Amino acid sequence: MTATAERAPAPPRASPLGWIKERLFRNVWSGFVSVVLIAVVAYMGYRAFAFVFINGQWDAISRNLANFMIGRFPRDQIWRLVAQILLLGLGLGVGAGTASGTARDKAEESGLTYEPPTLLGTLRRFWSLIAFVVVILFMAGTRGPWLVAGGAVVLGYIGWQSWRLPRTVRLLSWLVTGLLLLAAFQVVSGTDGLAWVPVALVVAMAAWLVVPVDRLDSPWRQLAGLGAAAAGVAIVYLIYQEIAAPGVGWDQWSGMNLTLWWSAIVITLAFPAGLLLGLARRSSLPALRYLATTYIELIRGVPLITLLFMGEFILGFMLPAGTSLSSISRSIAAGTLFTAAYVAEIIRGGLQSLPLGQTEAGQALGMGTPVILRKIVLPQALRAVIPAMVGQFISLFKDSSLLFIIGVTDFLRVRAIVHAQPDFRVVAHAETLVFVAIGFWAIAYAMSRESQRLERKLGVGVR
Amino acid sequence: MTTEQVFTDATRASGKALIEVSGVDKFFGDFQALKDININVGLQEVVVVIGPSGSGKSTLIRCINRLEKHDHGTIIVDGIELSDDVRNIQEVRRETGMVFQQFNLFPHLTVIDNITLAPRQVRRMPKKEAEELAMRMLERVKIPEQAHKYPGQLSGGQQQRVAIARSLAMQPKVMLFDEPTSALDPEMIKEVLDVMVELAKGGMTMIVVTHEMGFARAVANRVVFMSDGQIVEVGPPEHFFTDPQEDRTKLFLSQIL
Amino acid sequence: MLRGVGQVVALAAGAAVVWWLLSNLITNLNRSGIPTDFGFLTRPTQFTIAYAPAFEARSPVWQMVLVGIKNTLLAGFVGILLASVLGLVVGIARLSENWLASRLATVFVEFFRNIPPLVVIIFFGAAVFTFGPLPVLSEAIEISVPGSSDTLLLLSNDRWGIPGFVSRGDVPAYLGVLVVGLAVAALLWIWRTRVNLSIGEPHHRVLWSLAALLAFAVLGYVVLGGPFGIEWPSLSENRRVIASGFAMNWGFLALTGALALYTASHIAEIVRGSIQAVPKGQTEASSALALNGFQRYRFVVLPQAMRIAVPPMINQFLNLIKNTSLGVAVAYAELATLTRISIGNGRPAVQSIVVMMVVYLAFSLTISVILNVVNRRLQLVTR
Repeated sequence: MTATAERAPAPPRASPLGWIKERLFRNVWSGFVSVVLIAVVAYMGYRAFAFVFINGQWDAISRNLANFMIGRFPRDQIWRLVAQILLLGLGLGVGAGTASGTARDKAEESGLTYEPPTLLGTLRRFWSLIAFVVVILFMAGTRGPWLVAGGAVVLGYIGWQSWRLPRTVRLLSWLVTGLLLLAAFQVVSGTDGLAWVPVALVVAMAAWLVVPVDRLDSPWRQLAGLGAAAAGVAIVYLIYQEIAAPGVGWDQWSGMNLTLWWSAIVITLAFPAGLLLGLARRSSLPALRYLATTYIELIRGVPLITLLFMGEFILGFMLPAGTSLSSISRSIAAGTLFTAAYVAEIIRGGLQSLPLGQTEAGQALGMGTPVILRKIVLPQALRAVIPAMVGQFISLFKDSSLLFIIGVTDFLRVRAIVHAQPDFRVVAHAETLVFVAIGFWAIAYAMSRESQRLERKLGVGVR
Repeated sequence: MTTEQVFTDATRASGKALIEVSGVDKFFGDFQALKDININVGLQEVVVVIGPSGSGKSTLIRCINRLEKHDHGTIIVDGIELSDDVRNIQEVRRETGMVFQQFNLFPHLTVIDNITLAPRQVRRMPKKEAEELAMRMLERVKIPEQAHKYPGQLSGGQQQRVAIARSLAMQPKVMLFDEPTSALDPEMIKEVLDVMVELAKGGMTMIVVTHEMGFARAVANRVVFMSDGQIVEVGPPEHFFTDPQEDRTKLFLSQIL
Repeated sequence: MLRGVGQVVALAAGAAVVWWLLSNLITNLNRSGIPTDFGFLTRPTQFTIAYAPAFEARSPVWQMVLVGIKNTLLAGFVGILLASVLGLVVGIARLSENWLASRLATVFVEFFRNIPPLVVIIFFGAAVFTFGPLPVLSEAIEISVPGSSDTLLLLSNDRWGIPGFVSRGDVPAYLGVLVVGLAVAALLWIWRTRVNLSIGEPHHRVLWSLAALLAFAVLGYVVLGGPFGIEWPSLSENRRVIASGFAMNWGFLALTGALALYTASHIAEIVRGSIQAVPKGQTEASSALALNGFQRYRFVVLPQAMRIAVPPMINQFLNLIKNTSLGVAVAYAELATLTRISIGNGRPAVQSIVVMMVVYLAFSLTISVILNVVNRRLQLVTR
């Protein structure tokens, strides 16, 4: 034992040569595989290099960047899109800041350390997105897009500072995020017609939640909450009567802009629908349960394309004669019907994963079922399903490419516009496809990494 | 007195150690789990290794059957030196049996299939012979009636006894035990310890990592105390528990006894 | 109490909405003079299907549906086969200790999992076939069998030709020989297993049975004087169609190839996850028992991994079959494409789509039943 104190041996360090031997040529079979793979990679790398830098016809893309990003959007209304991007930057910044603030609060409470995100860390986290955007900006050539992107980043950083806000203002912060995102939507789609409805809903929810709670389930609290919500709705309605102005409805959105918004809108609509469906599926009323189950199993058994066809060809007939819906509206309806069934299953899984002891504890404390649902079961179940919901959103984002088939000009179908141009009728098909593939990939990959990260952080284990 | 090679009478009689560990270090990244371990285990010796968690006791016995690879020094089992050569490792593993804390029975096979798998595949034993051997082992651990059940149907104590029978079926020269009773409910610890005591009395060479001091007092030839990756003190149980030499040993014993 | 009332209200509201939609539907259909029955199924299709010369325009619509089903299942099965093999290889490669193999497998999985299958399909369709480097059929690339003038492969941007089998003699007799060979192989299997049980020698029964089968196949072929032949692919006189061999159209190739790659990436993840889900203690215990790598995998790891992998894999198979509906993008005559074409040709939309949905539902229900049966059989016995 005394000898040890004098010796202090060092841990074995791997040399580069040792690493190669260990990882690539450990035995004959491994060596053979390595040789073959090196040859394959070298050849494909050479072809890829030639394709990207030498003989690829990328001007099909650089000349059509606007088409790819916004399709047939009226070019004189581009200021709306600029405003949208800036508002989105600000809104997402505020949202991220608020989430960060909440995380810090939790860490403080439980004594864990909170690691604030670093610039480098964020760059690494979203590298695929950032790389894609930078490549497009370089291809664009003009200064405009750079300014807009820069503006969005600056606003995002400003919004991020919301993490410094005290805890009491958190709810307000979330409200602001929601309103900013809605504003980003409505600055393009216009503030007339039913535009006040989603805003009123958000404000009503916030008003209801903000009413202070003194006793659980006190009837006065319910009444006060309802009153506040009604007041909020009225105020929003009146404001919107004042500022009503038409914009560019979503029927005219196309390109990547449409792909992203379509997915966002569908998941936003499908979430409450799926939640209700999921609860109905577990209902004690057999008729409700039976119908919900039938619906869910029906939808999950057919491909999305059948529902899109339904939307295209049948939905029109289901409405009173004379009403017409645009292709995009119909596809949103179809997408929502489709996604709601999957969301319902996810929520069912979340509810089932909750140990029975939770409900029993609530009952032992004398709570009624709706209260148990609202205050114990749903918060935990919904938190548990976040990773699965993100996965569903990624799926939806990929499935949005099916809009191509029903003739809606999404990011994929812009190629039809590009290849209708005389210069690109028969050439550059591979190039445009690669561009589209990379566009989808950059976004879906970033989302899937976030989802894995969320899963790790929430500690929701994969069984 | 502590890291000196202490041989028992049995070893001196045969003149050779069954297991020789010399100058062994083991690193996990930058963390050194084993520091200059020197120990010999003779034929029919029962060595009990105790120590706080993280002291390297499990790492040591896992190095002996190459479940972990040691970084410096040599380990020789029954004259075979452990190296990177796969055939070497396989030979050593044939001669050593290991019983794990988590039993690690194969859940998709019946008890008797669990036991006969290795003899049939490794020693090329015919099925009938292997099954007879398995039944003998099951009788040795006192649960022959469980032969056709699945591990999921057995209690923890029964599963661990099956695990012991499974290792014994390979007729090893030395049995390694990695905290065999730590995952058991208290009422089942005794049945497993009884089997181990009988094994020891029957002359099996054993290295046992455990917290069960009663077992050590009953059958151990030597007790080894490890801490922070080093062997701190070695001695026969009569002296070890009543008159420990090192301060660290005294501290540890005071905490657990 | 309140909850019960709430549920009844929800049910009533839902029922009312559905009723309103359906009554609108019937009214509007009637008003437009569109039939609301399924009689259209027995009337002539009035269009032909590309690459299916046997189908005539006067064939009834239900035959068109059958063609669609057949093509869907064809693409489905071939796709499932390719995806499983590729997915298995890539999944195991991800766990390999060879750094290159595992990295490349990871890149493959992360790439194909995150792009829409439709993009891959169109890539194959447009960039490989229609606008790709392949020539038109009349100038198809002919890859010869090494050392002879026969064509092994015919490649064009429209159709591919591969060797086909053609009967040249007594095929039933040959099949009979194969059956006998199978029986002998089975007997050998049993015999070798007995040998292993009694004296412990490794049975190698797979090798023995396969060797026997092969021997019978070869001998039977020789003795019967070549009862069937390989028909090499070739173009017709006017170089407009593939006259011999087995022809595959580009829609099928693009769809199946793309779906195979896409689904393989998911299956690879399932395979990897299932192998990693087997507790480490199992490999440690089998190593400690001196089982070598192959024995570890065969007797301990893979049986347990398969239990975990099979249900999600069957789910992926279902997804692949549902994804064949994307054949619309490459004009492959599977069910969705044909439905769309027939609606475009004036067939009643509601009924056509209902028929399509019923067929897909039938597929998915069948697979669900299979999944349930498999799940039950895979349950580990516990107390």
